[in-house]
Amino acid sequence: MSSSHDRPGADDRFDELEAELRALGETLHVSTPSPDATARAVRARLEAPRPKGALSRRPGLLPRLRLSPRKAVAAVMVFLAVLIGATPQGRAAVVSILRFAGVEIRVGEPGPLPTGVPSPLPSERRVTLDEARRAVAFPIAVPSALGDPADVRVADGGRVVTLLWPGLRLDEYDGTLNVVFRKDLGEPWPEDVPTIRGWWIQQPHEVSYVPKNGGPPSEDRVAGPTLIWQLGGVGLRLEGANREEAVRIANSTR
Amino acid sequence: MDDDEAITRALAGDLDAYEVLVARYSAAAHRTSALLGAGDEAEDVVQEAFVKAFRHLGSFRREAAFKPWLLRIVANETHNLTRSRGRRADLTVRLGQEREQDGPESPEGIVVAADGGARLLAAVRRLPDREREAVVCRYFLQLSEAETAEVLGVRLGTVKSRTSRGLRRLREEVDRELLP
Repeated sequence: MSSSHDRPGADDRFDELEAELRALGETLHVSTPSPDATARAVRARLEAPRPKGALSRRPGLLPRLRLSPRKAVAAVMVFLAVLIGATPQGRAAVVSILRFAGVEIRVGEPGPLPTGVPSPLPSERRVTLDEARRAVAFPIAVPSALGDPADVRVADGGRVVTLLWPGLRLDEYDGTLNVVFRKDLGEPWPEDVPTIRGWWIQQPHEVSYVPKNGGPPSEDRVAGPTLIWQLGGVGLRLEGANREEAVRIANSTR
Repeated sequence: MDDDEAITRALAGDLDAYEVLVARYSAAAHRTSALLGAGDEAEDVVQEAFVKAFRHLGSFRREAAFKPWLLRIVANETHNLTRSRGRRADLTVRLGQEREQDGPESPEGIVVAADGGARLLAAVRRLPDREREAVVCRYFLQLSEAETAEVLGVRLGTVKSRTSRGLRRLREEVDRELLP
């Protein structure tokens, strides 16, 4: 392979050397773990609670995580099936209902939290912020604390706009007439946040979407801690921030 | 699911969709990290790079290609690692070990097939860092000049000049070795 180099009269072009380097590159085998194993390990890192300070750089991480996510999901599914079998009318024991800004919050004995992949809202599509502004009847507010969203979705014929930043989700919807979202949670009650006249739900809970054309709530998923408030006639729900951040973001939303 | 859809879903917190992206680019990421000098810590570097990519997905320009954006994070992570422990020494040791092994497959990484290749590889290894990185990206990873610029975080002209300086140096080295 290398003997071609000592040919006399090599000019300033490097074609031959370049070809040789490419060929050499193809003989360099880098052993890599299977893509699936990497995907699982990355997911485990993303799902792990983030400790203060750096993540450990220990080579033993991969084997240690090997049995986690999928088996855990399977275990939860079995547990869920047992629970559903045991309490067929799981949501019947609702004790209090709070209706606010297009959200109905039922506090009582919620059913088990949904599992699996959350499905998008009905007829959800990705748009630009400008397209969203043309597509919906209410003014879309963008928190100045966050800047322009990374992604914008409009769903259910312009009834809901979802603004997304990494790790943060802000749903905006016409909050004056009907229930748009329903939330089922256990104690404690949502906390009143007087400065923004909103409610803070601190615990993970089930959120479902109540379609415009009626019908049963759909698209159940688990929501993290959520702040709900209202701006004019627009209902807003912010998910993914802690209470302090959420209130700061809400205050910056005009 | 194409990259764009996977990214959209991942931005909404869908980790299943992100797993698709990770699996798709896992091999390219490992190769980049290993050849840029992470050695047997490539696995850890790659996982951490994917975690960072997920957390910074919002800063990814949607009209751009995902792969070079990701590989830039991989290259940066690799760079942080090698800088923290002294890159040159480590790379020398690794390739030196590999050259002494005759087996067809080394459990921990890079295998040099042919002797001529080993000589050229040794010359690449001796290149100054910046030229070596450009040469590795362009020829070993077979990235375009534009992709290389993005991955290394430098201008296109810089890639061109570092590559041609590296090539010139390599040719001198190899020619000198082949003199009787």
